[in-house]
Amino acid sequence: MAESKHFRIQDALDVLKARREGMQIAAMLGFSHADATKIAVVISELGRNIVNYAGTGTITVLTREDDKGKSVKIIADDKGPGIEDIDHVMLGGNSTSGGLGLGLSGSKRLMDEFHIRSSSGSGTTVTTTKWIR
Amino acid sequence: MNFIGIQKLENLLLVSVPRDLIDDEVIRLRRDILKAIRLYKTQIVLLDFSQVDISDSFFGRFIYSTSQMTQLMGAKIILSGLQDAVIETMVELGMTLPEVDAVLDLDDALELSRQLATEQQIEIEDGADDVTKQGKT
Repeated sequence: MAESKHFRIQDALDVLKARREGMQIAAMLGFSHADATKIAVVISELGRNIVNYAGTGTITVLTREDDKGKSVKIIADDKGPGIEDIDHVMLGGNSTSGGLGLGLSGSKRLMDEFHIRSSSGSGTTVTTTKWIR
Repeated sequence: MNFIGIQKLENLLLVSVPRDLIDDEVIRLRRDILKAIRLYKTQIVLLDFSQVDISDSFFGRFIYSTSQMTQLMGAKIILSGLQDAVIETMVELGMTLPEVDAVLDLDDALELSRQLATEQQIEIEDGADDVTKQGKT
């Protein structure tokens, strides 16, 4: 069983809506309150990156339930300037937007799987998954 | 002056941090806190987070910077009402916070604030004694 919800991200209010709904989706699937909170925070971090660096993009929240278990996958996609040095960004502590610089590195810690695909000039796609333990 | 979510209570400034603030509102709230400290000459600022259920890295930065700025204005800061899930998420995200007093809820916050006020009072009285003693010798 798989379901998906798609959010268009253009401004800060879109991010608030996506993270709030993402949290509800995770809770409905059976995630603990703490883990649903982490999923909401990850949506918030990825959404903020879209608004700050790309202007517009999308966030898709996919739930999946099969013999391997239940999971939530978040896909954040934009056609912005991309990230030049992904390894550097993933180390954390290098914010250019007033955050703690923990957006991507911290999100990775909160999730089970984390993939980032980006190249200068062609946008960024982050795909990250969390499983119910 | 009217600050949304900020009120004077006993000897402290109570800031009820709303949930789901956008970044601009977070920055406005921080500025309002500093203005209110000056206006009310408050020495203790209580940041209550009991309404907050999602705290990302930007929000963590708000907690960090507000704590530092408050201290630079000569006021003590107390954090209260951080929810378990928020705490777990903030720590796992990798946030660090400056050395601040944190309490579970508003009851504990009021108690700590009264205690801090008493300590300050004693310090002032001790200071007065010293002046008297110095005057006599």
